[in-house]
Amino acid sequence: MSISLYKQMMKTNMKTFLGFGIGSAIYVSLMTSLFPMLEDNIKEIDEMIAIFPDALLRALGLESMGTYGQYIAAEYYGLFYLFILGVFTVMISIHLIARLVDQGSMAYLLSTRVSRSKIVRTQILVLVSGLFMIHLLTFIAGFIAAEFVIDTDSSIAFGEFFQINFVGFLLFYAIGGYSLLISALFDDEKNAFALAGGITFIFYGIDMVGKIVPDIDWVRNLSLFSLYEPGKIASGDANLWLSSLVFLGIGIIGYTVAIFMFRKRNLPL
Amino acid sequence: MIDIQNLTQEFSNGRGIFDVSFQVNKGEVFGFLGPNGSGKTTTLRHLMGYMKPGKGVTKINKLDAWTYQALIRKDIGYLPGEIAFLDGLTGNDFLKMMVGMQGIDLPERRSKLIRLLQLDPSIQIRKMSKGTKQKVGIVATFMHDPPIYILDEPTSGLDPLMQKLFIDLVLEEKTKGKTFLISSHSLAEIERTCDRVAIIRDGKIVTVKDIHELHALQRKAFNITLANSDDVEALLLSELNPEKIDDFIVRIEIQGNYDAFFTILSKYHVKNVSADEQNLEQIFMDYYSREDVEL
Repeated sequence: MSISLYKQMMKTNMKTFLGFGIGSAIYVSLMTSLFPMLEDNIKEIDEMIAIFPDALLRALGLESMGTYGQYIAAEYYGLFYLFILGVFTVMISIHLIARLVDQGSMAYLLSTRVSRSKIVRTQILVLVSGLFMIHLLTFIAGFIAAEFVIDTDSSIAFGEFFQINFVGFLLFYAIGGYSLLISALFDDEKNAFALAGGITFIFYGIDMVGKIVPDIDWVRNLSLFSLYEPGKIASGDANLWLSSLVFLGIGIIGYTVAIFMFRKRNLPL
Repeated sequence: MIDIQNLTQEFSNGRGIFDVSFQVNKGEVFGFLGPNGSGKTTTLRHLMGYMKPGKGVTKINKLDAWTYQALIRKDIGYLPGEIAFLDGLTGNDFLKMMVGMQGIDLPERRSKLIRLLQLDPSIQIRKMSKGTKQKVGIVATFMHDPPIYILDEPTSGLDPLMQKLFIDLVLEEKTKGKTFLISSHSLAEIERTCDRVAIIRDGKIVTVKDIHELHALQRKAFNITLANSDDVEALLLSELNPEKIDDFIVRIEIQGNYDAFFTILSKYHVKNVSADEQNLEQIFMDYYSREDVEL
């Protein structure tokens, strides 16, 4: 990779990284600080939740709110988080390659001794650094908030909260894998964005449909999102190893093929 | 130094470049002339390794430009034709990044170039005018002192004073034995620097000529204002094929026969001479009509 390019790319994208990271951190700490209030009335809330249709609860990941992990999974990681990080990952992946090719600024980057594969490797590192920063900020904010507002005798579930963030990071590492591959293949930024965004949205939709309609539960196997169930991670029912390995594998394949394809293609620069 | 042989690249819309061949020798300034969309940039992209030749080969320093693209680019200063920079950078940010990527840091040479072009690199590139952006590109292209320069329409956006400065810069580098391949759509823009010129049209090389040969081919028109109508009548009968365009103004087109032009005109009282720039299209027309005659 090229250190000069990495530094400049981090500098250029830092505002976006911090914007998403701090936004996510504030949301998590706000939600965390609401937990004690909820915890006092947990019995009533669980009774109220029981009134909702099962399909809706499954769709929202709201099966139980008994522990902090389950609560935060339902309030943030089951829905809002997926949406925000999905947008972030697809957007940055497209900006890092397809936009530079589309605008023509890739010509300057490729006018030096830095090879094509080095440029793609650098951009992958920028994307992963951004994802890492967002998750780190979110985790630290959630953790600090939990330390200060939640009584020690209630479960703050440090381990589960960490797992929710870690597997989430790997999920978006994988989504970044195919998004960056698409980014490396397209001349036109808009088409690349539409395809990568479309695939992500369809994955999300399939997972949702599978959750809402139990009869076609199997369709969830077609979606990456089915391997990330923060509610189950919180209650200790998730297969973390399987999810992590699949995400890691898809990411590595995506990034490797992106480097390979970008080396071989004709560039309209 | 630069060797292009039978380079062909056809795009899906039928356009492209076809059987392009020419060589640029070490220490030579080579002009690559053609109208917009004629295939100049496409040819240069192959030299930079951005595209794989459909047919034929492109070589720089005897190395294949596609296979050894990163290795070759080490020796090249490339100025892209399209001015596009990364978002949100100042000139300094961009130059700093390019220094790192080029792997050669020559601070004195860089600040000399910045001074010469009167560039203020501390401002956001986004807010610069077209010409100022072009200056940033020129600094980035020249600052690592490469032996070969590939410049795609280098003077576009520059004012006449800067164009002249740029030409001086090219001539100075030429005395150091640097090799240049410069594309342009205007002969006037490159004729002061070039030794040889290739003309491309619709993706095909029309001719590769010495600049002096091209000058001889080039037809120039002069509007001569004479003092009295007798002189006008006399001049109209001369061998220069003049054309009367006003009471006292006569238009004469010249193609290499400057001696005759001056000998004949010296007989008359000339009050004013103005020259018309000949555009590229006319040079093509001249060249084609000559080809037809030769055939």
